[in-house]
Amino acid sequence: MASKTLAGNTGSPGSAGGTGSAGASARSPKSSLNRQGWAAGILMVLPYTIFFALFSLIPILYGFRVSFYDWSLLGDKTFIGLQNYTNLFADEEFRSNLFNTVLFTVVSVPLITGVGLLLAVLVNGIRKGQSFLRISFFMPYVLSVSVISSIWVIFLQPYTGLLNKILRGIGLAGGEIFWLADPTLAWASIVMATLWWTIGFVFVLFLAGLQDIPESFYEAAGLEGASRWQTFRYITFPSLSRVTVLVVVLQTIASFKIFGQSKLITGGGPAGATKTVVFSIYENGFQTFQMGYASAIAFVLMLVILAVSLLQTLLLRKLGE
Amino acid sequence: MLDRIYPYVVRIAAAVLAVMFLTPIVWMLLLSLTPEGGNLFGGGFHVSMDNYRTVLNQAPIFGWMGNSLVVSAVTTALVLMLASMAAYSFSRIRFPGSRVLFVLFLSAMMIPAEATLIPLYLLMRDFHLLGTRVSLILPAIAGPMGIFILKQFFDGLPKDLEEAARIDGAGFFKIWYRIFLPLSRPALAALGIFTFIGSWNDYVWPLISISDKAYMTITLGLPMFQSSYNQEYALPMTANALAAIPVLIVFLIFQKQIIKGIAFTGGKEM
Repeated sequence: MASKTLAGNTGSPGSAGGTGSAGASARSPKSSLNRQGWAAGILMVLPYTIFFALFSLIPILYGFRVSFYDWSLLGDKTFIGLQNYTNLFADEEFRSNLFNTVLFTVVSVPLITGVGLLLAVLVNGIRKGQSFLRISFFMPYVLSVSVISSIWVIFLQPYTGLLNKILRGIGLAGGEIFWLADPTLAWASIVMATLWWTIGFVFVLFLAGLQDIPESFYEAAGLEGASRWQTFRYITFPSLSRVTVLVVVLQTIASFKIFGQSKLITGGGPAGATKTVVFSIYENGFQTFQMGYASAIAFVLMLVILAVSLLQTLLLRKLGE
Repeated sequence: MLDRIYPYVVRIAAAVLAVMFLTPIVWMLLLSLTPEGGNLFGGGFHVSMDNYRTVLNQAPIFGWMGNSLVVSAVTTALVLMLASMAAYSFSRIRFPGSRVLFVLFLSAMMIPAEATLIPLYLLMRDFHLLGTRVSLILPAIAGPMGIFILKQFFDGLPKDLEEAARIDGAGFFKIWYRIFLPLSRPALAALGIFTFIGSWNDYVWPLISISDKAYMTITLGLPMFQSSYNQEYALPMTANALAAIPVLIVFLIFQKQIIKGIAFTGGKEM
């Protein structure tokens, strides 16, 4: 095995000093050691690099190329320059899907972040039964999107679904609510399901952040006679700034990529009202087989996500100062 | 006054919220035990396994879970091996260009998988891999997050240990395998859990790649089975329960490590 010989050769720095090993001849022993180290280093990075090149780098470049063509499923292609990109602006469906995605992001990110923080603060203050609470809030996160979507579809059914029964039971709803038949309610359903499904992740990050805040901070606040709200406002929340940036960015990226919930809970309906950007990629690419156009949409999505990621880097750098 | 009742308010609020969060899961399990047409809220509720028998007869749920298990396990094993090797090299061996390569991988973390669906489809078709389980594994290994997380962890390990090993004549591979891997078990576990859950839940790419029922993962097969039941809900819910129960059991057994692992990986992702 290659690893065996390499392991044998890199040797100890001690022995290379006096006796002068045969292979090193004119070069200094140090540089020969470096060279062998380099070989091992490159060899260890190589396997991953091959996968990266084949399934990440090449697809990106390939996709970029495809986005400048009128490219059919069978590979008939005509170069059309930027036309796929300019067509995007005139495409009612794409604009609507983009708007929906942005709206979903704007609503769900603050909501999920806020509720996640609230749950973490609640749970952090409880010693007895904390692990039961942690399990309850985190559990939905381990289920797959198919399972949670189907649970919610059945949960939301008029006449038979549990949610309407509960809402009527506590007097919040007069009649049957047709959750998936109205655009606003359909989005509300997707937001509720997404919150229930993913809040565990946000909650766990915030909880870990809270547990990292030194007890002495709170003792100092207690001595100063700070109120509960003041303590939260001036100690807890600022200490969580890094976690908050992280959560907001991860949630924003995830929200922009939303697809499964919308495909599986509403099927994009009613009348396309809950379709998203990834829905556009899916439909243009794999239902009408306009590979070039779908690639252009994918690049727009990627640019948005790159922008969000760069913003995160800048924000975190600023917080670090 | 407010200070006196505050702890109770917190406890009650948390308990109510926990019950709300558990309700859909409990309801799923109860529905799956109620035969279609039976009334969960009426007096005559009795536990029945009929739904489970019917669903298992009609859909290869266990086959799909088997596919998911194979795909997720192989993906996780390969990610752990390749990422830890590369991360070790980046952390301890500086070869010319290693810095550039690392930054390249790091910037690829910002690229969403959804952006490469079209080219991946075209490439996989050219490689004749479309529709196979292999096609689900390969792109998942190319994700660079593992390298980043493990490099950060490796950077924090003390150098004394490996120097001692070097003096004893151990090479880089041996140090990686004998010293770094055992020392980074918590980080590897965290990354493994993260990767496994991600692979198990992957939906878009399998939806595009796989069309043969026999190769579907549970995440893909489940909605297909359920789409034929429009008005009924006991059988679709039973299928959900079948897909969820093993996952929930594994979660309940390892919940401490899983939650810790998610916090660790999530927190490192910056």
